[in-house]
Amino acid sequence: MAYLFQPDYVRYVCSCGSLKPISKMYFCRHCLKIRCGYCVCHEADSHYCPNCMENLPSAEVRLKKNKCSNCFDCPCCFQTLCTRAGQAPLRPPASSADAKQDVKATPKKVYYLSCSLCRWTSRDAGIPDQYVATGGWPEQENPNSTRISTLIDFHKVLASKEKQEQQRKKFPTKRTFLQYEKFGLTSAMVRKRAGKPLEPKSLIQHSDQPAPAVANEEVDDLPAGIFTEAVDITKITTLEQRLQHPDVQAEKINELRPQHKQFLVKRSQRCRGCEHNVSKPEYSPQSIKFKIQLAAFYHVPEIRIVTCEPLRVGVASELLLKICNPTQHQTQISLLPLDTPTTPTTVTASGEEQELKRENIQMGSESPNLLPLAVRQISVTEDPKPITVVSGAEIALPECPLFLPPRDDAAEYDETNDASHFQDDKKVVVWRKGNKIVVRLHVTPFANEQNKGEPVIVGFVLRHGYVNTLATLEHKAPQKSELNVQLFLTLGNLVGTA
Amino acid sequence: MLRYEGIRYISDKQMVVLDIGSAYTKFGYAGEATPRGIIRTEVKCPESKEIRRIFNYIDIDDLYQLLVEFLHLLFFRHVAISPKDVRIVVLESLLTPTQFRETLAKVLFRHFEVGSLMLLPTHLATISTLGTDTVLVLDVGYQEATLIPVYEGVPILKAWQALPLAACAVHECIKKDLTDSIPNLRIPEKTVEDIKVRTCFVTTLERSAKLGTDDAPSPPPAVKYPGLKTIEIPGYVRERAFEVLWERDNDNLSISTMILDAIVKCPVDTRRQLAENILLIGGTTMAKGFASRLKSELNTLLKSDLYSDKLKIQTFKFHKAPSKPNYTAWLGGAIFGIADLPARCLTKENYLKSNRVPDWVCLLDNQKDDTSNCGI
Repeated sequence: MAYLFQPDYVRYVCSCGSLKPISKMYFCRHCLKIRCGYCVCHEADSHYCPNCMENLPSAEVRLKKNKCSNCFDCPCCFQTLCTRAGQAPLRPPASSADAKQDVKATPKKVYYLSCSLCRWTSRDAGIPDQYVATGGWPEQENPNSTRISTLIDFHKVLASKEKQEQQRKKFPTKRTFLQYEKFGLTSAMVRKRAGKPLEPKSLIQHSDQPAPAVANEEVDDLPAGIFTEAVDITKITTLEQRLQHPDVQAEKINELRPQHKQFLVKRSQRCRGCEHNVSKPEYSPQSIKFKIQLAAFYHVPEIRIVTCEPLRVGVASELLLKICNPTQHQTQISLLPLDTPTTPTTVTASGEEQELKRENIQMGSESPNLLPLAVRQISVTEDPKPITVVSGAEIALPECPLFLPPRDDAAEYDETNDASHFQDDKKVVVWRKGNKIVVRLHVTPFANEQNKGEPVIVGFVLRHGYVNTLATLEHKAPQKSELNVQLFLTLGNLVGTA
Repeated sequence: MLRYEGIRYISDKQMVVLDIGSAYTKFGYAGEATPRGIIRTEVKCPESKEIRRIFNYIDIDDLYQLLVEFLHLLFFRHVAISPKDVRIVVLESLLTPTQFRETLAKVLFRHFEVGSLMLLPTHLATISTLGTDTVLVLDVGYQEATLIPVYEGVPILKAWQALPLAACAVHECIKKDLTDSIPNLRIPEKTVEDIKVRTCFVTTLERSAKLGTDDAPSPPPAVKYPGLKTIEIPGYVRERAFEVLWERDNDNLSISTMILDAIVKCPVDTRRQLAENILLIGGTTMAKGFASRLKSELNTLLKSDLYSDKLKIQTFKFHKAPSKPNYTAWLGGAIFGIADLPARCLTKENYLKSNRVPDWVCLLDNQKDDTSNCGI
C-alpha cells in the first residue's frame, strides 16, 4: 500500500531500475512502460509567485530576473513580508499659526513592510515609508554593474574576433603564425609563444578595451577597535542572511534590505522513450488539476499487504495480499517468480503470442513513433540502475491465473453484488468484492547471515493484462497485451528461528 | 545601463553558469553582474533522508545519484529553468578529480540532456573580471587553497600550489578551541561556521607572534553566542581562529609561502608582474584582516633567509575584483560565458559520440594541431 509519509512496504520496479511505491510512478500509455520521477524528462511549464499567485510569460520572467515585483521576503528570517498601513508621523508644528492649519489637514496614510514572524520592519532598516501600497520600494543596485557591463561588452568583441579567426581558418591559408588564442591553456601554446614575437600589435589593441584593473599596495586593515570593542552578536548578520543578497552581503543587521520573492515553477513530465507527456498540470497556478496525468495507479494493479504472520526462518507464514484492478477492463493476473523476463507480450490476430516491441504497439496516427527514425531526435538513454534489493524469503505463488473484473464505482455501494461468477480456488482467493480480491500466499524466510536484523523482503513478478485503448479512437479493435512488473514487498523482521 | 541589460536578455538564449564549490554552489545566468543565489552544496539523500554534502561521496555511483538530486533541485527550485537543451558553463578547478568531472558531465548530458557544456578553469576565468591578463590567482575556499598564476592569459601550470588550508581547517581549529574551553560542548559545523563568520577575524602579525607566550596581548572581548544554551566565545578563540592558515607546517608551508613558492617557480621575467597582480578569491579570503595579514606575512618572509636570496621582489600589489570574493570566480564565468563560442563548448552530440570529456591532462586533447581542441 502506498502511504503518504510512511515507509514504502510495497515497491514496484520502474523501467529505470528505481524502486518506488505505486503512488510515485507514472505509466506511459504509449510505450506501455512504468516510468518514475527519475526517468522522465522534467520541464518547467509556468512560473508563478507563491505568494500573490501571479503568473507571467517566460519572457517577462527573464526580464524580471525570476522575481516577483510586488512580494518581498524578510531579509532576517526569509518569510514573506506583509505591507502594513500606518499614519505618517506629524511634524511638530513650528509655530502656533502653523498648528492651526495642520489640524485641518488629514493625516496621510503611509505603508511599510513588516515581517509577522520575526518583527522586522522596513522602518528598522531606515527605508522611507511609501505612499502607495504596492511597488515603489527603493532597489539596491550592484555598485559595480557599469564596470561589469564594460567587461562583458569587451568579451563579446573578443568572441566575435575568435569566430572570425575560425572562419578564416576553414580556408587553407599560409600558416604564418598560429591562431591568436587569448585564452588558450595548453602547455603547447606556451611553447609556441616562447621566443616568438607576439602578434602584430594591431590585433591586440582594441579601441574598446576597458581600462585594466589597477592593483593596489594598500589593503583593508583590521578595524582599529576590534581588539577592544565589545561585540553585540545580535547586530551582526548570519551567513545565510548575507548570501541571500550576494552583491551586498551586508554585515550589520540594519543594512539588510527586503528581497523580492522568487518565482516557483510548475513542472510537466515527459516520457523519455516516446516524448509524450505523462503529467501536465493546468497552466494556472491556482489550479491543482492536471490536463494529463498518467499515474501508474490508474493503469497497473495495486497490491497491498493485508496481514502477514510472524516470520520465522524455515517456517511457512501466511501472507494475505489485496489486489485491486483500477482499469475499465477485466484483467487477468498471474504471480510469477522473480526471474521471469519482464518483456511485455501481446497476442496477434492469428492467435500466437509474440513480444511487444515498439513497432507493433498500436499507436494513434499522430504518434512520433511512426515517424522515421532520422526525423526523431537522438534519444539520450541513461543506463538503468542496478537493483540492489536481495530477496530474503521463498514465496509460494499460485499457479492459476486470477481474474479481476473492471472497476465499477457504483458497485462499491452495492450490497447485493456478492455472488460472483468466477470459479475461484478457495485456497488461493480468500475474499472477493468488486474489482478487488485477497489472495493467500505462503512465505518461508531462509537463514541469511548477511542481512541479519534487516527486514525480510520478498519479490515476484506481477503479470497483468492491459488493454491499449489508444487505437480505439480510430475504430480499431483495442490491442490486448500482457505486461510484467517486478514487485518487492517488505514484510517485517524475523521473529526468531524455529 | 539596466535598460540595455534587459534587451540583451531577450535577444540571447540564456546560459546557466554554475560554480559548484565544495561548500557553496553559486548559480546564475551569463551576462549578469551577480549570481541569482548561493546555496549549500548539499542535498537530502533520497534513501537515508540525511543531508549530505556532494563532495563527501563514497563512490562514483553514489556521486551520480547525489548530483542528480542536487542538480534537479538546483534547476527546478533555484534557477527555475528546464535543463533540456540549455547551455551550461561550469567553473571547475584545474585540479578537480577526473572522476568528479566525468560524472558531472555524464549527469548533465545523460540525465538532464543539456545542450552544451563549457568547462572553464576557475583561475583562468577569474581574470575576466579584471580586464588584465597577468594575475596570480589564489583561491581559498572550503576544502583547500589553490593557486595558479596566469601570465598573458596562459596559466603557468608548473607553478601550481595547493594546500588543505581553508575554511575546513579553520572550523576544526575553532571547534577544538571551543571544546577545550567549554567541556561537553557539542556543536554542529554549521554553528561553527556561523561563529567564525560573525565573530572571528585574522589578527595582525605582531600580535600573532606574541600569542601563546608570556607577554601575550590582552585578548579581544568575549562574545555571548545565543542558542539553545548561550555559550560564551572567549576572545582568544576569536583571535586565533585563522592562525592555522599562517602557521607553517612540517614542510614549512602556509598560505603565504604558497604565493612565494609559486613566484619562485615562475620564469624570472614574469615574477615582478605576478607579485604586483595578486587576486584573492574564495569565501575564506573575506575574513576581516585576511589581506593585510597576508601582505605583512609576505613582506616578512621576503626578508627571511628562505627567500631573501631567491626573490628580489620589492612590492606586492593586490587587485580588487568588481564583486565579493566568494563569487568572483562565478562572475568570471558569467562574463566569459557571454561570449558565444561554440568551438569551446562540448555539445551533446559530440559527447554522445565520443562519450568523454576533453581534459587538459589527456594527450588526446593536447595535440599540436589545436583545431580539434574543443576543451578548456
